[in-house]
Amino acid sequence: MKKHSVLLKEELCEGCTNCVKNCPTKAIRVHNGKAMIRDELCIDCAECIRICAYHAKHSQTAEIADVSSYKYPIALVPPSFYGQFKGLNPARVRVALYELGFKEVIDVSLAAEALSRKTSEFLASNPGIYISSSCPVVVRLIKILYPELTGHLIPFKAPTDAMGEKARKDAIAKGVAPEDIGVFLLTPCPGKNTNIFDPVGIENSPIDKTIAVTQAYQAVLAALEKTQDVAEEDLPVPYLGLGWGQSGGEVQLLHEQVQDYSLSVSGIHRVRALLNELSRNNIKGVRYFELSACEFGCVGGVFNVVNPFQARSDLRRLRAKGKAMIEQNEGYDFDLPGKFEPLQIGRLDGDLERAMEKLTQLEEEIAVLPGLDCAACGAPDCKTLAEDIVTGVASRTDCIFLLRKQMGDLAETLSALLYELPPVMKKEKTDGKVG
Amino acid sequence: MQEQILIQSKIEKGDFTRGGEVSSSLKDILRKLGVPSDTSRRVTIVTYELEMNIIIHSLGGEITVLISSEQIKVIAEDQGPGIPDVEQAFQPGYSTADDFVRGMGFGAGMGLNNVKHFSDQLTVETGQGKKSKFIASVYF
Repeated sequence: MKKHSVLLKEELCEGCTNCVKNCPTKAIRVHNGKAMIRDELCIDCAECIRICAYHAKHSQTAEIADVSSYKYPIALVPPSFYGQFKGLNPARVRVALYELGFKEVIDVSLAAEALSRKTSEFLASNPGIYISSSCPVVVRLIKILYPELTGHLIPFKAPTDAMGEKARKDAIAKGVAPEDIGVFLLTPCPGKNTNIFDPVGIENSPIDKTIAVTQAYQAVLAALEKTQDVAEEDLPVPYLGLGWGQSGGEVQLLHEQVQDYSLSVSGIHRVRALLNELSRNNIKGVRYFELSACEFGCVGGVFNVVNPFQARSDLRRLRAKGKAMIEQNEGYDFDLPGKFEPLQIGRLDGDLERAMEKLTQLEEEIAVLPGLDCAACGAPDCKTLAEDIVTGVASRTDCIFLLRKQMGDLAETLSALLYELPPVMKKEKTDGKVG
Repeated sequence: MQEQILIQSKIEKGDFTRGGEVSSSLKDILRKLGVPSDTSRRVTIVTYELEMNIIIHSLGGEITVLISSEQIKVIAEDQGPGIPDVEQAFQPGYSTADDFVRGMGFGAGMGLNNVKHFSDQLTVETGQGKKSKFIASVYF
């Protein structure tokens, strides 16, 4: 079964180990000169896509052409999408999306606003520390590397999922046949694409397909040329919800009392640093954490066309137009059917005693390795190579320094052996004289 | 399983730059061993607080973490100067940390309180002018 959306184009990979060293979950190893991804560890943060100079790491989504394969296609537009059009009126962008064949174009910002209200209420009546579960990459990171913090993930669906469910339900209520409905998310990141086949917190994804912003961008620009401007009253824009498109926007919509005890952190490496502190109980006075895997939040998603600085600035200006949230007949179901469950990944052995033995072996291997973390072995650092050796997927000779030392030792043995030649041959070397 | 050492590390007085290193490595080890996440969290917090306690208040010391089938035991030993009033030291909010330490966000007087809160059993040997020894256990 497919577990993640980030893939490798083997023919482009040079085996340079840049992605290996930058992967927050140490999910990549270079094998046979190619940077292979370990399925169970990949959280689709797309750091490898960002760092690869050869564009060997990539991710695939559906295209605008796929919209026509459904009789009733619905577009879900995330807040960050509006950061791609130089501050153009969001209603205008929506008209262009209708032009591309969507029967409905729905702002995820509406669900974001509703979720903000729900989060404020939840925090007012539930003591304790909570982490936003809206970024699926953060949820996966916590499940894998910080299993002890899964209980702190707020038990709500992400706005995209809640909006998708509502959109589908509303369409069916209108008399549309379920099989005709195709829910498309215009995604800024591979992480949201993974939700389709591996959703977080829910059983089945309400979203049928995602279309990467890169895939949709030019079609939208062309459709903008063909369509007319629209009066804002006709298509109200949930401006405040648009703030969710960048880091800090979620906290900004919480009740003031909650805001004072909230913190927004973005960028996977900084999120990791924060979670490290949180796991040793070293952050005081914060009740709610808005965490985004991408720097600057969703506008920093790897599928976006416009750079995150520009998008952030444009989105901020759009948000400033908002006066109040759009009060709607809620109709969202944000409650998760169950809890977020931690994943047990990275165990040396299922049995504690045997795991302890392997831990001792691991320490021995670490002591033997040079500790230079050069990654020439294909693992990100010496400690990880040691782990791979102990779990049987790598060997000491994968380390070029150990290999070199072994060859040196071997050469020494060989040269020593030269002087151990049989007497008949020694005679030749001494030029006929017996010494 | 017999009691075995998971980690043993010397800790220097005032070495804030390395503060938290022992508990970070320990957390990683516990994950590799498949220790349940709740147990791991408690052991990590207890170790971190004891580690910081040595850095902030003592003349230096050592942390040893042991594992057996029943429990994980964190032992923190230091070179003094000892705690004159143990009961007071465990009061939430009580702190003898100086302004420099507080300026870095430490010394809020919750450290030892947290050790007690997150461990299942705790023994303390100390006294004015003596070396201190904490033994905190977290049961599986």
